[in-house]
Amino acid sequence: MADLDDLFDQDAPASAPAESDYAWPANPSVLGTHVKRLDGPEKVTGRAKYTFDIARPRMLYAKIVRSPYPHARVVSVDLSVANRMPGVKAALVSKDPAGQNNRVMFQGDEVAAVAADTEEHAIDAARAVKVEYDVQPHVTNEEKALDGTAPAVFTGGNVRAGQPQQSGDIAAGFQAAAHVIEETYGTPVITHTCMETHGTVCEWEGDKLTAWISTQGISGARENFASALGIPQANVRVICQYMGGGFGSKAMSVGAEGLLCAKLAKAANAPVKLMLDRKEEHLATGNRPSAASKIKAGVSADGIITAFDAESWGTGGAGATAGFPLPYIYRIANRRRTHKDVFTNTGQQRPMRAPGHPQGSFNTEIMMDELADKVKLDPLEFRLKNLPPEAPNAMWGSYLREGAVEFGWNKRHATGDPTPGPLKTGMGVSINTWGGGGRGPAKAHCEITADGAVVMRLGTQDLGTGTRTLVAVVTADALGLQPSQVRPEIGDTNSGASPMSGGSTTAASISPGIRVAAVNALHALKEKVAPALNVPAASLVAGGGRIHVKDDPAKGMSWADACKRIGPQPIVAEGDWQRNMSSSTTSGAQFAEVTVDVETGIVKAKRILVVQDCGLVVSRLTAESQCYGGVIGSLNFALFEDRILDRNTGQMVNPNMEWYLLAGMSDVPKIDVRLKDQPERGVIGLGEPPTVATAAAIALAVRNAIGVTIRSLPLTPARVLGALRQSKA
Amino acid sequence: MAKKDDSSGGMRFSRRNFLKTTGVVGIAAETVGAPDQAAAQSAPPALGPGDVPVRLNVNGRQIDLNIEPRVTLLDALRTRANLTGNKRGCDRGACGACTMIVDGRTVYSCSTLAIEVQGKQIRTIDGLANADRLHPVQQAFCDKDALMCGFCTPGFIMASVGLLEKHPNATPEQIKKGLDGNICRCGTFTRIFEAVSSVKGGQRG
Repeated sequence: MADLDDLFDQDAPASAPAESDYAWPANPSVLGTHVKRLDGPEKVTGRAKYTFDIARPRMLYAKIVRSPYPHARVVSVDLSVANRMPGVKAALVSKDPAGQNNRVMFQGDEVAAVAADTEEHAIDAARAVKVEYDVQPHVTNEEKALDGTAPAVFTGGNVRAGQPQQSGDIAAGFQAAAHVIEETYGTPVITHTCMETHGTVCEWEGDKLTAWISTQGISGARENFASALGIPQANVRVICQYMGGGFGSKAMSVGAEGLLCAKLAKAANAPVKLMLDRKEEHLATGNRPSAASKIKAGVSADGIITAFDAESWGTGGAGATAGFPLPYIYRIANRRRTHKDVFTNTGQQRPMRAPGHPQGSFNTEIMMDELADKVKLDPLEFRLKNLPPEAPNAMWGSYLREGAVEFGWNKRHATGDPTPGPLKTGMGVSINTWGGGGRGPAKAHCEITADGAVVMRLGTQDLGTGTRTLVAVVTADALGLQPSQVRPEIGDTNSGASPMSGGSTTAASISPGIRVAAVNALHALKEKVAPALNVPAASLVAGGGRIHVKDDPAKGMSWADACKRIGPQPIVAEGDWQRNMSSSTTSGAQFAEVTVDVETGIVKAKRILVVQDCGLVVSRLTAESQCYGGVIGSLNFALFEDRILDRNTGQMVNPNMEWYLLAGMSDVPKIDVRLKDQPERGVIGLGEPPTVATAAAIALAVRNAIGVTIRSLPLTPARVLGALRQSKA
Repeated sequence: MAKKDDSSGGMRFSRRNFLKTTGVVGIAAETVGAPDQAAAQSAPPALGPGDVPVRLNVNGRQIDLNIEPRVTLLDALRTRANLTGNKRGCDRGACGACTMIVDGRTVYSCSTLAIEVQGKQIRTIDGLANADRLHPVQQAFCDKDALMCGFCTPGFIMASVGLLEKHPNATPEQIKKGLDGNICRCGTFTRIFEAVSSVKGGQRG
């Protein structure tokens, strides 16, 4: 578990020296403006080709046979009938009954796979694969795993306890407390539910593989394929031009499904498409682990948290960890925390948008309001008293004060809306942090040709965040052009190596290299132009679609005329990530207002205010969209999402999109976004920060409305009504 | 055929309304009378197994396919006609990424058999723009950044077009209800609402 204090104690890194040509400009032309998404027209017309849309000559369709049981030994797999089914071209076993790896550890674990000429035939053939299972006792219930009543499934035990993390003097802290609370909090397992399911199209030519894959990391995918298939990385080309969301689940590896696709394509000697269906997506492609804690906390009469003692646990599935930061952000001198990973026969977790933080936030922030009530302090005032010191990467105090004014926090009533009638209204507030930041290598290649065209090429990928647009914005700003004049080429390992897109690191990783490459290319262009103007190249600048003398805009020439001097050999320049052009760690605060119908238990979010920084805002329109999206994702976590398992069979009962609930348009509140610019800090990243705090803010607004604390998510009508009933009893 | 709620009043199969009305009411409303009608007519001729000829009119173009009767409209167009604009998200009529317009009504094409819609006018996202000129709704989605990953976008746009053709000056409530049968995981609802609201009387406002 990361100790967040390490982050806050850092000073904000300095940006590139102002005198450097590479330094972010003090007066940018395009950076930080509202630039329309470059690939908008491709996406709104359906022309954008996602992996799901790729078609190759002779292409086959594949289907995976998966275990219906959470735990079993595979006794036999008979492919003979499937192999004789219409259109079947290849079938293979994933869990070899005679091998070491013959156990399925979760519902949806891969057992076999088939490829056929049509998707319908592949589905038929998968159904015809005969698998004999020796069903084993399973553990899917966390409580039973923890209290020892579940069958022992995992080597070394179903529960793995970590070492206590401790600082200060717990006993003294509780002695100093005027009030002590002891409560249990928790958040459920949820799944990423990417609109485009995981999937791959693989095509071999000899021992060379081309893979179209819905991935957050084309470079990593290339390495995965090469090492698992025993071929050189140079033999693998990975392409991902468009992808339908990842949220972390497509970040770490190509998965069993990616390798099965490649193997089927090899066996069938034909291109194979393997896209998962919605049920497989829920079961086998990752999830956000559950996170629960039993917290005993003490607070002094003047509102300082004096002691924090927590046991926490969560399940990340079969053999995977479930860590989360606790306490979250607030400074508590005397604290202890012991964490247990609970292993269950469920699909393994994968990072999900701000891994650990929404969970840590919920577990901590509900406690904060309970403590604030004990000392009769406004929750916002109480937070201010317990924050780490303010710094460029720790701005919560300022954001809370500023947000309170805009949101109308002074209209918040004390816990429990006294208004008569069934509709109760309440407000809540919560804070967030995230590291983000950049890393290399993230090589960018800039090419300017005599026809004036500019290509910026790099091996990054666009998850839907707007990376393609960001490439054009940074390039255009450096060259004095409009983003539409730049052609970004990304999403192909032939374009070079770039980091995986995860942890809100893409913008901060690629922006510096793009700017460096563009500035280097501009230097070369100035050298070509300077003789014609009879001035030194160093006196020239680019702006407004022209190259001209710095203090004499009239003395210059248009971009088109300048480029005519390039000649047959294009200008080619490179750049890479530079530490001093990016930094890390964001802060933010979110306010929520809800209404709760105490007769139906239905919670409606009315408005959310986001106050969020992310360093230098590169592309403002898409940055704001990230904030809207983060809030709505966290609202889903608060109100709707829950992976529900059958208590007897251990099978997921809602592996679909009608009972795995997600917000629709009527559920979405008014959202106001206030981006706090910190250009002096360089680029940081914004994907995860805005999805952390909303859930806790909503839950606290519900608490404020109904006067009853609900300590676990999601806030379903049943849970709200249950809590109200319990409070009356 | 799965129909979606594209009018605030008369929607029977919007996922949200369906769930909210506890299912029973919705099912009853849709199936009442069906047994009588079936009894009055002779049973339909059996089709398949195996491929059968299917003729579809898609975006004003005739498409002749030989497909199994079980193939959905979505899959027929995506995998046999290379019309991949509309997407498959859930394959169960819950997410709306597959939304097409058939004879003026929005349908979940993943839950509509191709053979069912022969002789009908089928419109998909692939045919919405007039060459390079975007439909006003498409232009609004671009202008307002009403998309991120873009995978749900074709369905949202077709649902919006269906809604606005019925209600050219749709109220905020009509827009919300009309688009409640579509899911966006990136969370672009705020800007989709802005985009659709900006199209009035078939034109950008």
